[in-house]
Amino acid sequence: MSATPPPVPPDATAWMAARGWAPFDFQREVWDAMARGESGLLHATTGAGKTYAVWLGALQALANAEAKRTPPLTVIWLTPMRALAADTLRALLAPLPDLAPAWTAGARSGDTSSSERAKQATRLPTALVTTPESLSLLIARADAQEQLGLTALLVVDEWHELMGNKRGVQAQLAIARLRRWNPGLRVWGMSATLGNIDEAMHTLLGPQAATQGRLVRGATPKTLTVDTLLPDRVERFPWAGHLGLTMVPGVVREIEASATTLVFTNTRSQAEIWYQALLEARPDWAGQIALHHGSLDRGVRDWVEQGLKTGALRAVVCTSSLDLGVDFLPVERVLQIGSPKGVARLLQRAGRSGHAPGRPSRVTVVPTHSLELIEGAAAREAALAGQVESRQAPQAPLDVLVQHLVTVGLGGGFTPEALYDEVRSTAAFAHLSPEAWRWCLDFVSQGGSALSAYPDYRRVVPDDEGIWRVPDARLARRHRANIGTIVSDASLSVQYVGGARLGQVEEGFAARLKPGDCFLFGGRLLELVRIREMTAWVKRATGNRPAVPRWNGGRMPLSTELADAMLAQLDVLHAGHATSPETQTVLPLLQLQARWSALPGRHTLLAEVLASREGTHLFLYPFAGRHVHLGLASLLAWRVARLTPATFSIAVNDYGFELLSVTPVDWSKQLNEALQMVDEATLLQEVLHSLNASELAQRRFREIARVSGLIFQSHPGEQRSSRQLQASSSLFWEVFRQYDPDNRLLRQAEQELLVQELDITRLQATLERLQGMRLALHPIARPTPFAFPLMVERLREKLSSESMADRIARMVAQLEKAAGADGAPPPLSADAIGQNLGFGRESAIHESPSSRQRDAQRTRRSRRG
Amino acid sequence: MNPLHPANAMPSAPAAHAEVEWAGEQLHLLPEKALWWPARSTLFVADVHLGKAATYRALGQPVPGGTTQNNLQRLSRLIDRLHAARLVVLGDFLHAAHARTPQVLKALEDWRSQHHATEMVLVRGNHDDRAGDPPAHLGIEGVDEPWLLGPFACCHHPQTHASHFVLAGHDHPVCRLTGRGRDALRLPCFASIRAGATLPAFGAFTGGHLVRPGNGVALHAIGGDRVWCLPPGH
Repeated sequence: MSATPPPVPPDATAWMAARGWAPFDFQREVWDAMARGESGLLHATTGAGKTYAVWLGALQALANAEAKRTPPLTVIWLTPMRALAADTLRALLAPLPDLAPAWTAGARSGDTSSSERAKQATRLPTALVTTPESLSLLIARADAQEQLGLTALLVVDEWHELMGNKRGVQAQLAIARLRRWNPGLRVWGMSATLGNIDEAMHTLLGPQAATQGRLVRGATPKTLTVDTLLPDRVERFPWAGHLGLTMVPGVVREIEASATTLVFTNTRSQAEIWYQALLEARPDWAGQIALHHGSLDRGVRDWVEQGLKTGALRAVVCTSSLDLGVDFLPVERVLQIGSPKGVARLLQRAGRSGHAPGRPSRVTVVPTHSLELIEGAAAREAALAGQVESRQAPQAPLDVLVQHLVTVGLGGGFTPEALYDEVRSTAAFAHLSPEAWRWCLDFVSQGGSALSAYPDYRRVVPDDEGIWRVPDARLARRHRANIGTIVSDASLSVQYVGGARLGQVEEGFAARLKPGDCFLFGGRLLELVRIREMTAWVKRATGNRPAVPRWNGGRMPLSTELADAMLAQLDVLHAGHATSPETQTVLPLLQLQARWSALPGRHTLLAEVLASREGTHLFLYPFAGRHVHLGLASLLAWRVARLTPATFSIAVNDYGFELLSVTPVDWSKQLNEALQMVDEATLLQEVLHSLNASELAQRRFREIARVSGLIFQSHPGEQRSSRQLQASSSLFWEVFRQYDPDNRLLRQAEQELLVQELDITRLQATLERLQGMRLALHPIARPTPFAFPLMVERLREKLSSESMADRIARMVAQLEKAAGADGAPPPLSADAIGQNLGFGRESAIHESPSSRQRDAQRTRRSRRG
Repeated sequence: MNPLHPANAMPSAPAAHAEVEWAGEQLHLLPEKALWWPARSTLFVADVHLGKAATYRALGQPVPGGTTQNNLQRLSRLIDRLHAARLVVLGDFLHAAHARTPQVLKALEDWRSQHHATEMVLVRGNHDDRAGDPPAHLGIEGVDEPWLLGPFACCHHPQTHASHFVLAGHDHPVCRLTGRGRDALRLPCFASIRAGATLPAFGAFTGGHLVRPGNGVALHAIGGDRVWCLPPGH
């Protein structure tokens, strides 16, 4: 080593000049900071040259252009989606031959081939592209320090995608580990624009390092256009489950007019249905348009991404799977089907068009129901005003910490004192109390706290030298198979009988299918032949048969920024001005709403009360997003149910919520009182009480139980389904509540529910805002345009203060009556409401009669669920 | 009084248990998830799954202790209150071989000695096949299904029997009740047809399997400390 000549830093400027590029100022700023050994965060809209700002900076700071020997692992490049790993790797490899010929680069994720893995088992490349989960797996290796200890730079790409969730916490803990091995570790993040970018850096670097962190702002934002594809006519009853297929001809025209188009949808099923509808409208586009979402097989996704790059594809229908990464796609046009739900997300997707520094970008919202017209106008206003959302980082999620303790126990072991210090260097656990730390140690070593130790239970225990390790090889294996914080539905392979693998479907969906049923997948109509050994065997469906619709999550709440902008739009409309094309189009619908009831606004809180055979319905429209509405609805229900025993069924959407009770409630007398503001502590108590009366916390517990290793998702060779997991997590919930009520994971479930699902801070702000508003309570004779989507909402929560016996007695009495000779009419169903209102018929402009019929069928089936 | 008001349309509150006639015998369906045959002073329970939590712990999954004690205490209360002369367990008494921990076996022994006068029979179920019979000195007789008792064929797995009315467990039946105002509840239940009946799982730490009515299946749901006879075809 002593004979080595002094390192020659690579010349990135010359390398760029050879390609006709010149570094931007912000790229130089990052290079300089890295050369000085600093850490920081670079933020800019997508495609503004962030990758090369960081990568060329890394090579200049760390590589020797004339070195002959391949250095050990030096740079870890974290990417939030494994689908991005291959692409990122390509970008990193490009300058290596010229700038750092001795360096190697590789990817490691769930997609990595076993031969590549075997190679990496002996030696990791100089630069490794990986995911937070795969990095934790590396940390769980017994030789972790030897393999990872020389890492000089950790880069986190798309940090905005990680900072708000537990994967981000997992990354923070990994950074703390690497920093312990190499105190000189540089950490750099790349992020899209956020409302709280300072906090984003603080969270990534940790409180100590953040004081010297460098925040670099990327190239000046490109010019941005947000507009809306206007429908030919506005339906009277907007419905959230509606797929907006009446907009197909308009979308076809847009695709025709551009060389390449990305069509973003909010869910996978919506992507499937739109792809199918586009093909039906233009069969000649077969082979020119494609589908891209996370359930598709890796090979298919690669093919689509390549097709986009070479410009061979005219359009791709996609989900958030194409939100991130994949730099420099030559996409001309971006369409967003349905509400983007937030300003940041809309900007991100807009950035996909003209995806190169300084190029203008444009996104067009395609409304799937009438009220999304207003959202489109609101999104434009908010985007132009720069009202971008903030992301809140999770605080001290003990489930992630418990998992990390086992991971570190496997990866060479730990001593509690040193690890406590290390863990507190992260933003997430900076304020972790000694008691909470003790509890986590107790939990992994003996189940519960010292007093309630679980008999015969051991996971991590100190050895003779006081190093905590995992002695049981079987547990070690199982832990490795369960590392991660993403709790998804278990999925089944989809495979042709005797043929190719197509991808995966959620198990919950597959369980509802019978052999012979058809469903859309990967752009094809498939018929289920049988389900065996976690594989759904299928064949191509023949004839014109209805498809079973898929319902899956991804119900993001409307952000505060967008909700406020929407109320502002309604106010303008209320004053009689329809200033934008969107609001002019939706005006007839709003006039009907005003005639039947009234318009909500920034200063008017609209309440509607409807009596039906189902009971008393209250509709309230605070426009605070579905999460806050759920909290507010539970709170209101609980406050009323405290006075008189009652059972409420709760439906929420982004605009408001419905409380339905069988027993009559006089809302004109009770609503004002139920909306009363209380101090923060009382509110917290009340919301907690209302939670105990519902099943929300129990559902949240499922994720926590899985992350903390209480329950295991699957083990190799043990086909355990996630439905069993669901069943057992509710069992676990009951058992823990009864026999170990002080378990901190239960408290965490409650906390996460408050912070993430009900958004207690926003709930409090909303309640405060409502105080300053005029309450307009309107009895209505029939559901209004705003009420209708709530009334037909299938997903409902319950809150009850009645005794179970009373509820059962009422249900049994009703059954008796229904079974009796006179046959009482059945309760008013969503179907009946839809039919009475003439809803559910697509407009006649749809071109293909067969698909219209199919869509109507789909609508009916999906509503019946 | 408004007759349409649901509170007034309610049937008079039923007795806590439900009485049925199966195979010509009067039987009581108890809200404690057990079946009582007064004429022969016999108590039936199914799927107790003792030591299930201990099994989970042994496999590395933390579950607090206490469920086994709770199961045994609930059995004791029933035996004492009814002065049961005989207890028939319709399978899955012990959860697994891992369940035979010293704590579980000690609890079982203490419990057995409290009820030494009560005859106890275990009709072996699929879990018992792997867990093994309870220790012989406890005097719990292990038998294979079908074990005939009067007009009843005592089994673990639901099945048909040529001559006898089958009492079984194994399924952990639960049912779903729905009603006005989109109310819904999931409740453990007894499911019976003409030729046999399935008991709800007795164990505290057990899940359930949804049964749908129809095809001549009658359901008795358990909730709010009562047993509710559901109308046919609900």
